Amino acid sequence: MRICLALLCLIFSSSAFAQDLGWVRAHYVKREAYVRMRDGVRLFTQIYYPVDSGAHHPMLLMRSSYSAAPYGAALNEALGGSFWHRFIRAGYILVFQDVRGAFMSEGIFEDIRPYTAGASVDEASDAYDTIDWLVHNVAGNNGRVGALGVSYPGFYAAMTALSGHPALKAVSPQAPVTNWFMGDDLHHNGAFCLMDAFSFYSMMGYPRPSLTTSFHKAFDFRSDDSYDLFLRTGALPHFATMLGDSVAFWDSLYAHPNYDAWWAARDDRRYLAGAHPALLVAGGLFDAEDLWGTLHVHEAAGGDFVLGPWYHGQWSSPRPAFGLGHIRFGSNTAAYYQDSIEFPFFQHYLNDGVDTPARVNVFFTGENEWHKLAAWPPVSTPMPMYLQSFGGLGVSPDSGYASYVSDPARPVPYTENVGFDRTREYMDDDQRFAARRPDVLVYETEPLASDFRVGGPVQVDLSVSISTTDADFVVKLVDVYPDDFRDTAVRYPMGGYQMLVRGDIMRGRYRRSFSAPLAFTPGLGTSVPFTLNDVAHVFKKGHRIMVQVQSSWFPLFDRNPQRFVDIYHAADSDFVRSEIRIYGDSRIVLPFIPDLP
Amino acid sequence: MRNYLFLLLLLPGVAMAQDHSADSAWFREHYVKHEYYIPMRDGIRLFTSVYMPVDSAGANHPILMTRTPYSCAPYGLEAYSGRYYRGYLMQYAREGYIFVTQDVRGAWMSEGQFVDIRPYNPHKKGTETDEASDTYDAIDWLVKHVPGNNGRVGVFGISYPGFYSTMAALSGHPALKAVSPQAPVTDWFQGDDFHHNGAFFIMDGFSFYTSFGLPRPKPTTVRPRGIRFQSDDNYDLYLKTGSLAHFAALMGDSVAFWKDLYAHPNYDAFWRARNDRQFLTDVKPAMMEVGGLFDAEDCFGAQNVYKAIATQSRGTDNRLVLGPWYHGEWASGNGWFLGNARFGSNTAEYYEKNIEFKFFQHYLNNGTDTLARANVFFTGENTWHQLAAWPPAFSERRLYLAGSGGLSFDGASSGYDEYVSDPAKPVPYTEDVHFHRTREYMTDDQRFAARRPDVLVYETAPLTSDLTIAGPIVADLQTSISTTDADYIVKLIDVFPDDFQYPSSFVGNGTHYPMGGYQMLVRGEVMRGRFRKSFAEPVAFKPGEVTSVRYTMPDAAHTFKAGHRIMVQVQSTWFPLVDRNPQQFVDIYHAADSDFVKSTIRIYHSSSIILPVLQ
Repeated sequence: MRICLALLCLIFSSSAFAQDLGWVRAHYVKREAYVRMRDGVRLFTQIYYPVDSGAHHPMLLMRSSYSAAPYGAALNEALGGSFWHRFIRAGYILVFQDVRGAFMSEGIFEDIRPYTAGASVDEASDAYDTIDWLVHNVAGNNGRVGALGVSYPGFYAAMTALSGHPALKAVSPQAPVTNWFMGDDLHHNGAFCLMDAFSFYSMMGYPRPSLTTSFHKAFDFRSDDSYDLFLRTGALPHFATMLGDSVAFWDSLYAHPNYDAWWAARDDRRYLAGAHPALLVAGGLFDAEDLWGTLHVHEAAGGDFVLGPWYHGQWSSPRPAFGLGHIRFGSNTAAYYQDSIEFPFFQHYLNDGVDTPARVNVFFTGENEWHKLAAWPPVSTPMPMYLQSFGGLGVSPDSGYASYVSDPARPVPYTENVGFDRTREYMDDDQRFAARRPDVLVYETEPLASDFRVGGPVQVDLSVSISTTDADFVVKLVDVYPDDFRDTAVRYPMGGYQMLVRGDIMRGRYRRSFSAPLAFTPGLGTSVPFTLNDVAHVFKKGHRIMVQVQSSWFPLFDRNPQRFVDIYHAADSDFVRSEIRIYGDSRIVLPFIPDLP
Repeated sequence: MRNYLFLLLLLPGVAMAQDHSADSAWFREHYVKHEYYIPMRDGIRLFTSVYMPVDSAGANHPILMTRTPYSCAPYGLEAYSGRYYRGYLMQYAREGYIFVTQDVRGAWMSEGQFVDIRPYNPHKKGTETDEASDTYDAIDWLVKHVPGNNGRVGVFGISYPGFYSTMAALSGHPALKAVSPQAPVTDWFQGDDFHHNGAFFIMDGFSFYTSFGLPRPKPTTVRPRGIRFQSDDNYDLYLKTGSLAHFAALMGDSVAFWKDLYAHPNYDAFWRARNDRQFLTDVKPAMMEVGGLFDAEDCFGAQNVYKAIATQSRGTDNRLVLGPWYHGEWASGNGWFLGNARFGSNTAEYYEKNIEFKFFQHYLNNGTDTLARANVFFTGENTWHQLAAWPPAFSERRLYLAGSGGLSFDGASSGYDEYVSDPAKPVPYTEDVHFHRTREYMTDDQRFAARRPDVLVYETAPLTSDLTIAGPIVADLQTSISTTDADYIVKLIDVFPDDFQYPSSFVGNGTHYPMGGYQMLVRGEVMRGRFRKSFAEPVAFKPGEVTSVRYTMPDAAHTFKAGHRIMVQVQSTWFPLVDRNPQQFVDIYHAADSDFVKSTIRIYHSSSIILPVLQ
């Protein structure tokens, strides 16, 4: 979500897609309309429809908070080349709408506006009203509507699925924003995604005084170095000061540090089981932003499901997707998705296509192959691996511990290189830079004697004690390549590479409950259980499995003062060092799959 | 010196991706190659290749010689070395110089026994030899046998050949008029490749001796095959290998000098005999020492040969050149940048055309010499300075390592900072995973280190005016540790402003690095704590007792610009550049893995760094 602009560039960008724009211009007409909602508010809507208007054209709707630009007569150049072009060539009517309160639409914008099940106007009712208008007012439509969207538009796609309009047959929420406290862009397990949140809201959060076709000016950070900037700025109150008091959602974040009723009302999972249209949930195993939503919308709503080795939105990129960062996946996985999964899905439900995809398509990294499965997650054998106090990762616990001092003044960087923008690649980056720090614990197996496949969520159960009253726990599951591993296509030393397969953070105070945080008693042993997002990976024979544990991941996540204070209102002086002990009965439970069809 | 293979490629400018076919054709047309075995006074014959102008009428050709342990390849009369026409040496060729390269005694095709940094013998008798006498005998033969020579000889060489250049200067042959030791290996215990202040440069040492150190049973044109490392990651390999004893096991027992290193952990008579500076008392030829301010290998040698001659051989016509260079970069044709640091002009080309060529032309070929005593490029300010002395007059200004990460000219304060130095998690010397020791670490961004809990960081406020340093930097630490030994690495850093960008006219390395807030290493150096009182007699620390660790770092020439900050970082490992100190007072060369322990290091706020501030 943070890289919404980058994503817009991907989906709507200019010259890369212009090759077939002439064809679009010859065969399509662009129309702009204000569609009236039930409460009288009018939403700005663009319709691209074929010149040939036999009544056989399906419609695809994308509702977005990121602008339907370009406005006016100019054609959206993405229609000439990106994944949209498949739909254009098949005669789809494409509809882009600014959501309520955004850009050229009337009304008041509200971030992740809660679903009200028909009690009042919400994004689902806006979708209903829009669809109803479309099927009655757009010439040549076949009465069948699909919806899709990536990231924030993925949230709107999920809300569209809840509209209940009978013409809506198929919806694809992709990397949908789903629960901004548990996962997705703004928090993971209650820990605040400081960098993404600040850079997003410093641009997208300011009020829109009147209808506009322009984005708010981006915040001028005057920095090449996010670690430095975010560390120097200090405690969270300083960020609120920088932002000013006009960003409503920022104020909400500070007012709701715990998982209270306000957050619970914004948990889309609660409603999605009742979605009627066919669903295709798609997302990336290495999506830094909304992997959580991808997994949990599928878990809640079922339907078709795709997990690929992708960064946020990479599956819909017109660029070949052969890899991410230093890791290569051996084939153009985005093209496979667009050609063999997404397009056939909509064709089947909207356009009498017969080529239905398998229910579940998952790409396993390491092995680098797609698998068609009956369900996700597949049946697996829980394989507990203990964090042995002398650095081993094995099947038996021990009674010792390893320790480190977590210093909020020297947090562990989330990535090796100095840079300003949060990278997409940190999700599979080499973790050697971290393994070399004294405040990161490293556990690893011997080289594996045979391939080791994992698929599904990863349970973590740490046995810890700390010298203060709160701490964060970052657990990283890492694939250690053999020393002689070579990939001549990559200009990076791949021998001994420590590939991040999955990492996540747990804010310790929430170890018992996200709604009722609990202080640690200094020196007292306690368990910290949490779940890492699903993995789909094969640790190859000769590789090692590694786990790293640390207590900061900066500036991806805000620093924990390591004292049990309200972090959103903590002072710089509240931040203290904590000695963290990880006992040898701590474990990570891998979803081992001995055999996969 | 570790990069000697690389250097061989670079030296003549071979690495430059230019089309040299015209120069190659010209050189082949105008030069003829000869190969000779030149007899030494003891009957040993040294293999020598000589490229001389075809037109040797008129005895007007100067001789320019390099003696090397790295081979005068290619061998054979028809095989011409590219070094003479591919790079800046072409300007000498156009002037008709005779080029001589000689395999030193015991190396490659020369007879005799090779000895690493063979000690100079000031009291040779009869047929006793050393590198100086071999040079004498070679020069004597050349001026008598090579047709067309003008009786004037110059010698130059970079790195190990720089050592042989210093030895040439001691030969005393009257035909030898000018010598330029460039990054000369000078004292392998105090500075240069293999130790700095007694701390062992394990990575450079090991990777060099695993190939260079292998015995040569008989004359050969074939390069020895070193160990092939199955690793992309020196940090991992060197850490995994463990204590120095394991490296000896990997090396095997055939590498004589490796065994010498282990047998002489302290600055004893063995090392003192190999300190070239002591012999530089009556140096006859004109001298010009050349070195890189960012030379990872022999930063020490050029500066200290110059200083030794300046103080011990006052009558010598002695000059110094210091530029913003990696090892040998001055001869590479490209000195625009090093790593992410840019210098705004091609400093190598400037040196090649305006300094070195004029030096040899003057002494060997009737040119005019208007060179100043010291030609030094000041980074930060990015200009050449012609100075009457090196270092120029400066005032010592102490910057105190104050509380809360401050760095202050205002005087000492009480209190201390501390960190735990863990030999199992040493501080990397550079950010990126890689195998070959980089040249660029000498100017690298130190932010990766500043972010570790085992690195102390002190910095000033942004400077209100430029501050220029010229000369040696002294680290003056007050410290206590929880064990009986520790290393200290002090790094002097220029912190660029957050909005810093180089002007577009500054040629860089083609990458886009975030320069705002860059922490440029200006000078860093290690001190092995046990040698704080004497390099000959190490002394253990008493746990918890405050002691002084004071040492001098190599000279710097840098301007901290207004708006920049001065930063000092202190840490106790620099890996795998420097071997890990077990942090216990044991013989490190024979320590067991189990000897390596954590140590809590305290740096008191009475500690300071003393800067040579230009008036």
